[in-house]
Amino acid sequence: MENAWIIPLFPLLSFLFLLLFGKRFKESSAYVGMLLTFASLVYSLLVLFERFSSPTYKQEGVWLTIGDVQLTAGFEVNQLNALMLVIVSLVSFLVHTYSKGYMHGEERFPVFYAYLGLFTFAMLGLVLSPNLLQTYFFWELVGVGSFLLIGFYFYKDEAKAAAKKAFIMTRIGDVGLLIGMILLFWQVGSFEYDAIFAAVAAGEVAQGMITLTAILIFIGAVGKSGQFPLHTWLPDAMEGPTPVSALIHAATMVAAGVYLVAALFPLFTASDVALTTIAVIGAITAIFAASIGLVQTDIKRVLAYSTVSQLGYMMLALGSAGYVAGVFHLMTHAFFKALLFLAAGSVIHAVHTQNIEEMGGLWKKLRVTGPLFLIGTLAISGVPLFSGFFSKDEILIAAWEGGHPILFLLAVIAAFFTAFYMFRLFFMVFTGKSRSEMKNVHESPSLMTLPMIVLAVLAVVSGYVNTPWFGTFLGDWLVEGNEALGHGHVEGPAWIMIVATVVSLAGIYLSWLIYGKKSLSRNWLGAQTLYKVLYNKYYIDEFYSMTIVKVTKGFSHFLRYIDTYLVEGIVLGVTAFVQTLGRLGAKLQTGQVQTYSAVAFIGLAILMVIFALTGGYL
Amino acid sequence: MDLSYVLTLLVFFPVLGMVVLAFIPNTQEKTIKLVGFLATLPTLLLSLAVYFHYLAGKSLEDFSVMKHWIQFGGFGEMDKNFFAVHYELGLDGFSMIMVLLTSIIATLAAVASIHIKKEWKGYFMLFLLLEVGMLGVFAAENLILFFIFFEITLIPMFFLIGKWGYFEKERAAYSFLIYNGLGSAVLLIVIMVLFARTGTSNIDVLAQIVNNPDQQMMAPISDTMKFGLLFALLVAFGVKLPIFPLHTWMLRVHVQAPPSIVMLHSGILLKIGAFGLIRFGMGIFPEQFKTLGLLLAILGVINLLYGAFLAFVQKDFKMVLAYSSISHMGIVLIGLGAMNEAGIQGAIFQVVSHGLISALLFFLVSVFYERTDTTLLENLGGIAKGMPIAAGFLLAGAMASLGLPGMSGFVSEFMAFLGLFEEMPWVAAVGAIGIIMTAVYLLRAVLGITFGKSHREFTGITDLRKVEWVPVITLMALIVLIGVYPSVLSEPLKTTLDAIMLGLGG
Repeated sequence: MENAWIIPLFPLLSFLFLLLFGKRFKESSAYVGMLLTFASLVYSLLVLFERFSSPTYKQEGVWLTIGDVQLTAGFEVNQLNALMLVIVSLVSFLVHTYSKGYMHGEERFPVFYAYLGLFTFAMLGLVLSPNLLQTYFFWELVGVGSFLLIGFYFYKDEAKAAAKKAFIMTRIGDVGLLIGMILLFWQVGSFEYDAIFAAVAAGEVAQGMITLTAILIFIGAVGKSGQFPLHTWLPDAMEGPTPVSALIHAATMVAAGVYLVAALFPLFTASDVALTTIAVIGAITAIFAASIGLVQTDIKRVLAYSTVSQLGYMMLALGSAGYVAGVFHLMTHAFFKALLFLAAGSVIHAVHTQNIEEMGGLWKKLRVTGPLFLIGTLAISGVPLFSGFFSKDEILIAAWEGGHPILFLLAVIAAFFTAFYMFRLFFMVFTGKSRSEMKNVHESPSLMTLPMIVLAVLAVVSGYVNTPWFGTFLGDWLVEGNEALGHGHVEGPAWIMIVATVVSLAGIYLSWLIYGKKSLSRNWLGAQTLYKVLYNKYYIDEFYSMTIVKVTKGFSHFLRYIDTYLVEGIVLGVTAFVQTLGRLGAKLQTGQVQTYSAVAFIGLAILMVIFALTGGYL
Repeated sequence: MDLSYVLTLLVFFPVLGMVVLAFIPNTQEKTIKLVGFLATLPTLLLSLAVYFHYLAGKSLEDFSVMKHWIQFGGFGEMDKNFFAVHYELGLDGFSMIMVLLTSIIATLAAVASIHIKKEWKGYFMLFLLLEVGMLGVFAAENLILFFIFFEITLIPMFFLIGKWGYFEKERAAYSFLIYNGLGSAVLLIVIMVLFARTGTSNIDVLAQIVNNPDQQMMAPISDTMKFGLLFALLVAFGVKLPIFPLHTWMLRVHVQAPPSIVMLHSGILLKIGAFGLIRFGMGIFPEQFKTLGLLLAILGVINLLYGAFLAFVQKDFKMVLAYSSISHMGIVLIGLGAMNEAGIQGAIFQVVSHGLISALLFFLVSVFYERTDTTLLENLGGIAKGMPIAAGFLLAGAMASLGLPGMSGFVSEFMAFLGLFEEMPWVAAVGAIGIIMTAVYLLRAVLGITFGKSHREFTGITDLRKVEWVPVITLMALIVLIGVYPSVLSEPLKTTLDAIMLGLGG
C-alpha cells in the first residue's frame, strides 16, 4: 500500500505518451493504453487484498505554504478508496479493451486513448485523495476528461453543445463544493478528512456551519452525479462515444458525487438537515429521472436517465444513513450499467442507429450481446439472485429504517418504473419483427464481447458479497473501525424484500404485455399530455434557457450598453476636458512677460496665504 | 565576489541590441528579427542566473547597486542621502519573480514578432527599449528611478501601437497615452510630495519613516494626507491594472496593438499596476491600506463580474480576452482586499499566472490571425480540424485561464478566494459567480473557434510551425509547473510577504 500512489501514474503515462507519440502508433495505441491500465488494475487488486488484512495507510507531504498554514498532498488507502480503485481501474481496463473494436477506423484513435488515460488518471487520483483540496483538484480534472470525451466528435454541433453544457452545469455544482470546502477550512483549519471529522466529532464547529458546509459540498455532488436540478447535462453527454458513456457517465465519474458524500459521511451525519436534503434530492431524482426514462426512444438516453435515477437511489440511501447500502449499490451499479452501455454500444455498432423504434428482433442476430444485455436488464430491474436485487434491497431497507415513509414509497415506485422501462428497452430492441433494412447485422468482435462477459459475470455475482442470506462481508468490512459510518448491515423487515421482488416482476410483466406480447396498446393509459411532458423531460431545458440563460444574456447586453455609452461617455468627457485644458493653456501663452509675472505673483501670494493659515501642516 | 554589476547589465543589455540594430540596413528582415530575438537572450539568462543564485540559498542583496546620482539643494553637507536621488537597483523575492517573468515573456514576444510585416528595424528598437523600461520598473529601488522607467515604457508602447497596430491603431495609441499620461501625472504628484516631505525617495526608507513619526522628516505627513496620497496611488495604478471604470483604453490596446506587443502589454505592463499597489500602496501606507480592504474587495468583485459578463457577449476573440483580463485583474484586487496571507499571496500568484496565460493566449491569437486573417468569432469555427495542435493549446490555455487545477490559474484563484472567504464571506460568495461565468465565456469563445463545423476556406491551413512551438511549450510548461508545484513561486515570495504582513500588523 506504500506504493499505491503509483496506480494513477500508469494512465497518466498513457495520456502523455499517446499525446506525444500516438500519431506514429495509430491503432496500436490501444495496446499502450490497455497495458498501462492493466498495470493499474493489477496494482489496485493487490492494494485491495492488502487492505483486507492491514489498517488504513496514509502518507502526505507539503504542497503549498500560506503563512503558517501548510496545505498537504498525498494519498490514503482506506476501505472505500481501495474498493473504488478496483472498480475504476477494472471498468477502465475493460473499456480500453472494448474501444479497440468499437473505435476501429476512427481517424483520431490515439487521441481517444490519450483522453481515456487522462480521465482514468484523474479518477484514480480522486479516489486516493486524503483531503478535500486534493479531491477538488482531481474532481475538476475528471470533469475535463469527461468534457474532452463528450466533445470527442468536435465537428458535430451537438457534441460541442453537450460538452459545453456538461462543463458548465458541473461547474455550477463545483463552485458550491469550493465554497463549502473553504468555509469548512476556516472552521477547522485544515482540509484533511481526518481533521474535519475530528473537529466535527469534538463539537468545534457550530451546528449551523456544519449544515451549511455540508449542503454546499453536496451541491458539488449534485452537479457531478447529475442530481436534480443540475441533471440536464448527463443525458446530453451521450453525444460522446458509447464506451465513454459506459466508463464516465455510468460507472465512475458520475458516481464521484456519491463517493464524495460517502467519503465525507461523518460530516453529513452530524447534520440532520443535510442528511434529509440528500435523501429528498435523491428520492426526487430517482423517481423523476425514471419517469422520463419511460418514454425516451434513444437507447443511450434511456440508459442515461436510468443512470440519473440509480444515482438518485444511492443518494437516497446515503441520506437515510445507509452508508453501506449506498456504496454497495455504487459498486453493483458500476458493473451492470457499464455492461448495459457496452451492450448498447454493441447494438449501435451493429445497426448504426440509436433509435429503438427502428430496432427489433435482434435477439437472433446478436447471439452474444442479446443475453448479456438481458443479464444487465435483470440486474438493474432488481430480479432476485442478480446483484441489483441485493443492493436495491439494502437501499429500500435503509430508506424504511431512515424513517421517511414517503421517500420509501417513491423509491418503490421508482423501482417499478425501472423494471418497466428497462424491459421496454429490451423487448423493443431484441424481440418482435426484425426490420428489413437491417440485413447486414453482425455480432461484434470478441474484443468487444469479452469485456461485456466479464461485466456480466460481475453483474450476477457481485451482489453476493453482501446478502442477508450468505453474510454481509462487504458491509462489515466497509464500516470496520469507524463508528461514524453506522452498522454494516441493518436488519429490515422481511416484507421489504418481498415488496421489492413483486414490484420488479410487476414492472416486467406490464412491460411484456405492452411491448412483448403486445396485448395492451402502447397508450393504454391514454394520457397524451403526460406522455408529451415526459418525452420533453418536463421541459426543464426549455425552462433554463428561458430563465437563467436569458437573464445572463440580457444582463450582459445591459452591461455592454453601460460600457459603450456610460463609461465611454465619461472617457470622451475626460478627453474633451483635457483638450479644453490644453486649449486654455495655449491661450495663456500670450508672450507678454507682464502677464506671466502677474500670474506668478498671484500664485505665490495664494500659496503663502494657505501656508500661513495651515501653519505648514496639511 | 562583487555581483552589483549584474542588475545594470540585465536591465540595459537590450540597449546594446538597439545599437547593433541601428547598423543593420532596414531591408534585412531576417537579420533584424534574429538580432532582435538574440538581444533579449542575455537578459533572460541573467535573470535565470539570479533566480538560481537565490535558489542556491544566497542573498538577493548581493545584486544591490547604489551610485550617487543627483543632489538637490545644499543638504548634501548634512547628510549625503538627504534630497539625493541615487541610481539604485535591487531585488527582493517579488521583484525578482517579476524580472524573471518580464525577461521570459519578452523573449517569447520577440519570437512572436516573426509575424510583424513591416519596418522591422524600428519595431525591434522600440521593442527593446520597452523591455528596458519594464525591467527597470521592477528593479528600481527608489521612486524617482521607478518613475523614469515607468515613463520609458509609455513612449515605445505609443509608437508600437500607433504604427504596427490594426485599423484603429492611432486612436488606440492616443487613448493609451492620454490615460497612462494622466495616471503617471498623478503618480508624479505622489512621488514629489513624498520626496519633498521626507527628503528621500528610497522605497524601503520611505516605508520605514512614513510609518514611524519619530523618524527624521522634513515635514510631517498628516494621516489625512496619507489617505490622499494612497488614494492618488490607487488611481494612478488603477488606470494601469485597470480598475473599473478606468479600463476602456486597454480594450483598444488589446484589439489594435499587434499580438506580440499585447503579450507584453497584457502579460507585464498591466502587472505594473498590481506591483505598484503592493509595493508602494501596501509598503509605504500599510495603516491606511488596511482600511481599504472592503473597498478593494468590492472593486475586485465588480471587475471580476463586469469583465466576465461583458466577455460573454463579445464578437471579437481579442475583445473576449481583453475583458477576460479585466475580470482576472479583479482576482488580484480580491486577494489584496482580503489583507491576509492567503489573499495577498493569491494576488501575487495571479499577477504571475495571468501574465503567462494571457501571453500564451495572445500568442495563439497571432498564430490564428496569421492563417485566417480574422479574429471574429462568427468567421471562425472548426479550426481544430485543420490545426489540431494549436487548437489543443488554445483549449488548454482557456482551461488554465478558467482556473483548472493543475494549472497556475487555479492556485491563484483558489488562494485569493480562500483569503477573502475568511474576511468577507458574503463579498466572496458574490464573487464566486465569476468562477462560473469565466467558464461560460471562455468555452463559448474557444469552442466557437475550435469546435463545430469547419469553414471551407480553412481547410488548407497549416498547424504550428517549429518556431511557434517554442513560446507555446515554454508558457504551457511554466503554467503547469506553477499549478502542480506552486512552491517554486511561494518560496521566493515568502520574505516579501512576511514584510508586508508585518507592516499590516498581522
